Amino acid sequence: MPNASSLPQVPEAVVCSACGADSRASASCHMCHGAGVGIPTSDGFLVWNTLVDDFTIAIRKLRIKINAALHLLVMVGIIACLAVFLWNVVNHYSLEAVQTVEFWTIGHWFVTVFYLGVVLAAFFIFRLSEFTGQAKYLPHWLRKDENKKPSPANVALDVAPYFSVEAMETVEAAYLLAKELGRIEITPDLLFAAALSGRSGGLFMARLGMRFESVKSDLVRLLLLAPAGKPPITFSREAKRALAASFALADEAHRKHVTAMEIFVQAFLESQKMQDLLDKLGFQAAHVLHVAEWVLLQEKLKEDHERFVALARLKPKTVMNRSMTAVQTSLLDRFSQDLTLMARNGYLMPMIGNEKVMDELMRALEGGLRSVVLVGEAGAGKEAVLEELARRMVEEDVPPILFDKRLVSVNLAQVVAAGDMGLAAERLLAMLQEVGVSGNIVLALYGIEALVGSGSGPMDLAETLASELDKGYCLVVATTTPQAWSQYLERRSLGKKLIKVEVKEADAEQTVHVLMAKAASIEYQNRVFLSYASIEKATQLATRYLHDTAAPQNALMVMREAAVLARKQRGEGTFVSADDVAKIVHDKTNIPVEMVSSEESEKLLNLETRMHGRVVGQDEAVVAVSRAIRRARAELREGKRPIANFLFLGPTGVGKTEMAKTLAEQYFGDDAAMVRLDMSEYQDKSSIARMIGHPGDERGGLLTEAVRKKPFTIVLCDEIEKAHPDILTLFLQVMDDGRLTDGVGRTIDFTNTIVIMTSNAGTGFIQNAVSEGQSMERIKTALLERELKGIFRPEFLNRFDGVIVFKPLTRDEVVQIAWLLVNKTAKMLEDKGIYFRADDVAVEALADAGFDPLFGARPLRRVLQDRLETNLADMLLRKSVQRHDTIVLNADGSLSVEPAPDTLG
Amino acid sequence: MMQRTGALARLVFVDLIGSVVWFPVWWYTTGLKNMIVWCVEGINYRRRQYAIGLWVRNFFVPMYAQYDWGGRLVSIWMRFVVIIGRSLGLVLEGLAYAFLVVCWCVVPPLALVLALQNIIYGTFVQQVPTLR
Repeated sequence: MPNASSLPQVPEAVVCSACGADSRASASCHMCHGAGVGIPTSDGFLVWNTLVDDFTIAIRKLRIKINAALHLLVMVGIIACLAVFLWNVVNHYSLEAVQTVEFWTIGHWFVTVFYLGVVLAAFFIFRLSEFTGQAKYLPHWLRKDENKKPSPANVALDVAPYFSVEAMETVEAAYLLAKELGRIEITPDLLFAAALSGRSGGLFMARLGMRFESVKSDLVRLLLLAPAGKPPITFSREAKRALAASFALADEAHRKHVTAMEIFVQAFLESQKMQDLLDKLGFQAAHVLHVAEWVLLQEKLKEDHERFVALARLKPKTVMNRSMTAVQTSLLDRFSQDLTLMARNGYLMPMIGNEKVMDELMRALEGGLRSVVLVGEAGAGKEAVLEELARRMVEEDVPPILFDKRLVSVNLAQVVAAGDMGLAAERLLAMLQEVGVSGNIVLALYGIEALVGSGSGPMDLAETLASELDKGYCLVVATTTPQAWSQYLERRSLGKKLIKVEVKEADAEQTVHVLMAKAASIEYQNRVFLSYASIEKATQLATRYLHDTAAPQNALMVMREAAVLARKQRGEGTFVSADDVAKIVHDKTNIPVEMVSSEESEKLLNLETRMHGRVVGQDEAVVAVSRAIRRARAELREGKRPIANFLFLGPTGVGKTEMAKTLAEQYFGDDAAMVRLDMSEYQDKSSIARMIGHPGDERGGLLTEAVRKKPFTIVLCDEIEKAHPDILTLFLQVMDDGRLTDGVGRTIDFTNTIVIMTSNAGTGFIQNAVSEGQSMERIKTALLERELKGIFRPEFLNRFDGVIVFKPLTRDEVVQIAWLLVNKTAKMLEDKGIYFRADDVAVEALADAGFDPLFGARPLRRVLQDRLETNLADMLLRKSVQRHDTIVLNADGSLSVEPAPDTLG
Repeated sequence: MMQRTGALARLVFVDLIGSVVWFPVWWYTTGLKNMIVWCVEGINYRRRQYAIGLWVRNFFVPMYAQYDWGGRLVSIWMRFVVIIGRSLGLVLEGLAYAFLVVCWCVVPPLALVLALQNIIYGTFVQQVPTLR
């Protein structure tokens, strides 16, 4: 049975031990009252023992109406009593007369009416308290901290009175559905279907991205599996179990009542067939349960907010603390923002997850003598931790050292923007002086590394702050990034004064939770609704493809943009889908991350043909590369290595680079999506630094920076055999782990790259072997086992997904290439409105002139330039050709012009 | 069938007639408890708002960071006055809440008794305009 970890665990339902669910004995069973099955808990043996039929449904509705009418009547009675009393007093009695005991006791009829009104008012209070609630409160609704009794009670507890109106309506809807379909048992499937058609069910389906029409026919087929017959309609044992479990789930989650949401979850969990059906339709059980969790989370946030608002009223609105020991801090106020005040006024959101960091921060602060620095990547949630600290300070849910204090965020940029560094230091000291005198301020410094180097000489602002922190009169909670921490702070006195608390990047589960928690505000701002699929997709794609900021910030950004996109494309009130999210990520990265459409799958399956449109010959290479793209697009790769690592071997000018460009065009959508490194420039050991950056140099290396800025790219290393062996060792890690650490300690992600290395090593051997007519397979084996052994280490060669040998081009292939190039020229002319035609013999002559066994097709381009393009340029400049004319490349290599026919006659 | 009768019986006897009988019992059990809880929560909230404990803890800490002798003396005097004032306020509010609880207990039966007294011993019947 699937269960999401964050949903409370519900005890297993059991058959009644007193009657063994024997239908003859169970009607009078003290433990189950005839239900036969239930859940043993400390509050009682939870059973569903309430009859639901047309009569009880009608009575329940009647009861609600009668109660409402009665309350209205009582209220009118109270008002009438009071009105009669006041009217008589005002018209007939003076104030003095009313103040006598005699007036109240002598027996005036209207005074008696007043007394009766008072009794009626008391009765009204009683009725309102006991009869207007939807249902009974669940046992642990308010008593959250109470320890439950360990042993289960052996008394039946009928769960129905705890069901909210909506939950009860769901059960009744299941009954009506069973009646309509001619079933005699209410099964969990029927309960689930009824819950789906309710209000919560609608929200559920929408969040899941499920359309009722798309599941309706399958659902009805499933529902018809329940036993058919004539009424009475009873609850199946599984349905009773599901309803009792709904109570247990709601109680575990400290809900007020059992709602339709719990019925929905438990009916779903109870029915394996329903789970299979939804799974087949594309809704995994885990997703369904995650949506349930989402609803619970939003309920919890609502409750937390109510509590926060009540507590926030106790926090002062001004800079003065409650014990009035503080002073005005005019200078600090100019350069800062009071986070506690912002939290008090409801501007700061609660933090989701990261509880461990919060505990660590509180522990560090509780020591009282040392300040703290939060170290984490941008977007990992350092600000959220500080904002949560501010919220807790508002609630006064903090260690004594933070009690009755305020958290003030200093705008460091504004402080150091003085121009004159002496003035900045003076400002900082004056502000710290105010903090010290006031005594109720904890400073929050975002990006504390800004203080380093801003000052005169070695005594910069960081040193100034460090020396002040030493005096122990103020507490600081700062934030910084790991790079800045290791580069600027760790070894300096300021770093030594701070306790480091790491804020790690959120994992997928945490990110999903953060998105769920923030969903309400995104939905409100954009007036759209988020589906679960969109949240999951945003998490998945952001953690995989967007590395500029850490999770959960990257996922949040994507989600926000996707919400805007959905609103702009489909209007307000629509749902944000996974495709919207994929579109945003695609636009940002140029990577095709959307689901493979049927059109695209057609394209992918015919990729070889399409690639041959650019690459002539080299069938083996084309097949290997096409397969790698298909694997990557179908998401059938580990995700911990580059998409593919290829070694292209072969003579120059046979299409190795062209193949890399074609790959870039096909997979990354642009043949320039390529980081190209000529390895002949990296022949000595010191060139490693050029590649990954000098230690401590923020600018990084050529390779690492290029991939960091553009992680979806082809890394093309030309002439790899010329590189220094240490560089090849560096690539071992890239090819194996998909990452590389640059000079400043940043980990660069290579998992979205395709690494292609080309080499001319063994060219002579390849040419000879091909001319001898050896098979490519044999040539490759010989290369790997013999020819390349002295050049590359075996572990290096083993890292490649494919070692592809490019064979020398034949004359026919060169002619094809010549045609490709000629056509390209024709296309350029066509853009100018001039047509071009070439004679076969002329193109073959060009191919013959441009083919060189040593340089492959490389000289061809030059021949084309000399013999064709130069002449064309002359013709165009001489204006000997008009628009719509056709230029013909004749068999002898000369060019002639065919004027366009005169269409005007 | 039993359950159907039960549902109808519940409507008539529990919701309508039963609630009249249950009302006095509820008033002095669950109702009274709810009332007391409400009062305790109210007084607790006020106690936190006045923060008398915080003022006592900071009794010798000068107000507005006036660390000179004069400032300290004035501060101690002010803290003394404020603590006394707030304590008094808290006590008065506590009394008000206590009065409310007493009212809860006393007012309905008293009103009922007085109404009955008026009806039995007074001139109620004669005075009601429609019954005259």
